[in-house]
Amino acid sequence: MSLIANLLLGGIFHAAVLFLVAAGLQLVFGVQKIVNLACGSFYALGAYFGITLVTLAMNFGLPAWLLLPILLVAGVLMAAVGPPIERLLRTVYDRDESFQLLLTFALVLMFQDVLRLVWGANPQSLNNVHLVYGKLTWGDLSVPVYNLLVIAAAGATAFFISLFLRRTNYGRLLRATAENRAMAEALGVNVRSVYAVVFTLGTMLGTVGGALVVPTSAASLDMAIEFVIEAFAVVVIGGLGSMPGALVGALLVGLIRAASLVVYPEFEILAIYVIVIAVLLFRPSGLLGKAAT
Amino acid sequence: MRGATAMIVAAGVVALGLVPVLAPPFYANLLIPFFGYAIALLGFNLLFGYTGLLSFGHAMFLGLGAYGAAVMAGENGIKSFEVVLLGVALAGALVALPIGLLCVRFIGIFFGMLTLAFGMLTHAILFKFYHLTGGDSGMRVPRMNILGLEFQAYNKIELLAGPFYYYCLGLLVLCGLVMWRIVHSPFGLHLRALSNNAQKAEYLGVRVYQFRLAAFVISAIYGAIGGAILGFRIGLADPEIVHWTHSGHLVFMTVLGGFSSFLGPIAGALALTLLQDQLQSITPYWRFILGAVLAAVVIFLPRGLAGIAGTGAALAKRRAAA
Amino acid sequence: MTAIVETKNVSKRFGDFRALDDVSVAVREGEFVSIVGPNGAGKTTLVNLLTGLLIPSNGQVFFKGTDIAGIGAVALAKRGMARTFQLVQIFPQLTVAETIAAAVVSQQDKAWRLFSKLASDGAVRARVREIAGIFGLDGRLKSESRLLSQGEKKLLDVASAFALNPEVILLDEPTSGVSTAEKHGLVQILIDAAKKAGVKAIILIEHDMDLVAAYSHRIIALSEGKVLADLPPKPFFADPVIIETVIGRRRST
Repeated sequence: MSLIANLLLGGIFHAAVLFLVAAGLQLVFGVQKIVNLACGSFYALGAYFGITLVTLAMNFGLPAWLLLPILLVAGVLMAAVGPPIERLLRTVYDRDESFQLLLTFALVLMFQDVLRLVWGANPQSLNNVHLVYGKLTWGDLSVPVYNLLVIAAAGATAFFISLFLRRTNYGRLLRATAENRAMAEALGVNVRSVYAVVFTLGTMLGTVGGALVVPTSAASLDMAIEFVIEAFAVVVIGGLGSMPGALVGALLVGLIRAASLVVYPEFEILAIYVIVIAVLLFRPSGLLGKAAT
Repeated sequence: MRGATAMIVAAGVVALGLVPVLAPPFYANLLIPFFGYAIALLGFNLLFGYTGLLSFGHAMFLGLGAYGAAVMAGENGIKSFEVVLLGVALAGALVALPIGLLCVRFIGIFFGMLTLAFGMLTHAILFKFYHLTGGDSGMRVPRMNILGLEFQAYNKIELLAGPFYYYCLGLLVLCGLVMWRIVHSPFGLHLRALSNNAQKAEYLGVRVYQFRLAAFVISAIYGAIGGAILGFRIGLADPEIVHWTHSGHLVFMTVLGGFSSFLGPIAGALALTLLQDQLQSITPYWRFILGAVLAAVVIFLPRGLAGIAGTGAALAKRRAAA
Repeated sequence: MTAIVETKNVSKRFGDFRALDDVSVAVREGEFVSIVGPNGAGKTTLVNLLTGLLIPSNGQVFFKGTDIAGIGAVALAKRGMARTFQLVQIFPQLTVAETIAAAVVSQQDKAWRLFSKLASDGAVRARVREIAGIFGLDGRLKSESRLLSQGEKKLLDVASAFALNPEVILLDEPTSGVSTAEKHGLVQILIDAAKKAGVKAIILIEHDMDLVAAYSHRIIALSEGKVLADLPPKPFFADPVIIETVIGRRRST
């Protein structure tokens, strides 16, 4: 019983982080119609910088309970790479989507080496600092409080994004631009600045996701190219461009991973691809996406 | 203008033919992967450049070629490389048929994502089913005989830099000629028509889905042949060959050379092979420079090397059919 | 004369919306029939049914005596019906010769020839020249389609449809985007081409009533999904109720 509960919590934690990165991917695709392969690289960047900033803070003698806020700051700071990259992508907005995809692939290649240059080739980790918040224990079920905080943070992010998109003027503006760029432009929306804001927000969701995951698992060079595929699975399952879809997709992928670990470990990542393919074939718009193209 | 293309090809074949004679074995050895990629890209560009379908999972067919060689030669003791090539080509077609049937219903980004998912599914299978595929350590591809000759007097490097080099060059020329015929056939014209405007093409009697599928299958056959060459050279088939980043490299080479030209992808494969080798000897951060090159090509040279070279290859392609 | 294209009591619903309601029309060999009606009258739906793109909710669609409901574009071309579109449809990167050749290849059943050289296929080349000549495009065979003038693109669009050697050709507003001065010339070319190519019937969807009046043997007017009138030009234009419904009050001539 507790084994299942543990797995479930592990799955939800994974889903929480996945959701953040996938939400960034969705935002950028929804508004700018670009599939950003570099979102995994943002995730890795956030993770590495999170380690650096936490290590730095601890050396300065800051109390350990500041871990979560420091990681959040690390993620937000790294979103600074967003605007210059958006500027680069601007050169191909009017081109075929294959060029846009390729340019983000070029970014993936470049980020691999930037990370290697700054942080070295070996995986890095924080040694269980996340246990500073203690563990919750019921019987033989025990969860680090940190994991619960991250789940809560992701939930709050989902809530605020939906509030932002639905209730604020700027959110409506974003949705209008996503719906019909030409129309939005004709109505006087500064699409250029909207794109810059959206891309930076998308970047931030990725870097924050990476920063938050790093106390529980190591940061490595491979995480960029592996995580993007999982995030991509999430958005395909949920529906390209759909925020609720990202949430549902993330939960599904997170839980499937957790479940297959007990049932049949070989099937772990395989199960996700099978579901992705099934969704693409039978419901290409995704579970919560708009009607098929 | 077709004369111009023929001249470039002739000059290229002579130049490549002189490499083992004039340069140290290192260079001939270095160019073996180029031959593998060039053949694979001939097929890949039938799908991308001519049919308008960008696959981000095409490396799965290279993997099929390499693993197919490992299974046929390593596990079943087939020593003839020609038999192995035929085998992997057939396997490529058989695997591509059902996958293509599912994928070609979509175009654009959805086709790209679906092929990516199939590619990563293949990766996961190769990676996870350790007892069948050797997991991340892969499978050994043993030395095979070519044209029935063992070349026992040659060690592996000598074999690669000598007989196998010329063998691959010949194979590239052969595959290139066949592909040249395909793109200049009525079939090739219908592929270009459907990629230009699928709706109009249908009303002119172009069987859009069947032809996309046919292009997919042909590209898979070329991919498998290319993959078998890669496997032969390294002596190993490992899961990284089907990783999505490897598929990305195939697209990279194609765009670098220029996908709207027949010879472009071959030029791209050559340029990237040489560039990567040079960069690796200069800096450990060669990926960054490759990424920057790709970004520059995408932004400034959408027609690739073929575009700047102004060789007229693209023109020749168009005018040849008139 | 038997009908070559015919709908029998055809209805088409999209959800709750009745796009077409109990429509029975026929086009016979040798006829030039125009279909007119205000926007939203169901013209596009009727065209899509006649060309086997849609399946009727009720009723049947016949072409040369067989039911063609939903057979799709390729099968339709194979059976001898060609169509053009309101918005000009070309292959931007194909030359004029290649565009026409694409249709000729379908018509001569050579599309699966993977390894034969198209450039040295005399039968295809001769037919391409012939068609290009009919449409006055023989001087531009080697031009890329995207570089043609708007009028030439239109001609190429239609020429490629004629290259299928169809028995029936359906022209969906062929003169849209063409200047008033050129409209008659274009339709005249189309009719001449149809004669030369042995086309048995022409179906024209058109807004310009002058053209409709000048060339049609018969006019079918649709209104709110129903057949309002199915008459030769004289009685058609003599009926003020029809004119009012189809053209509205804005008619200036």
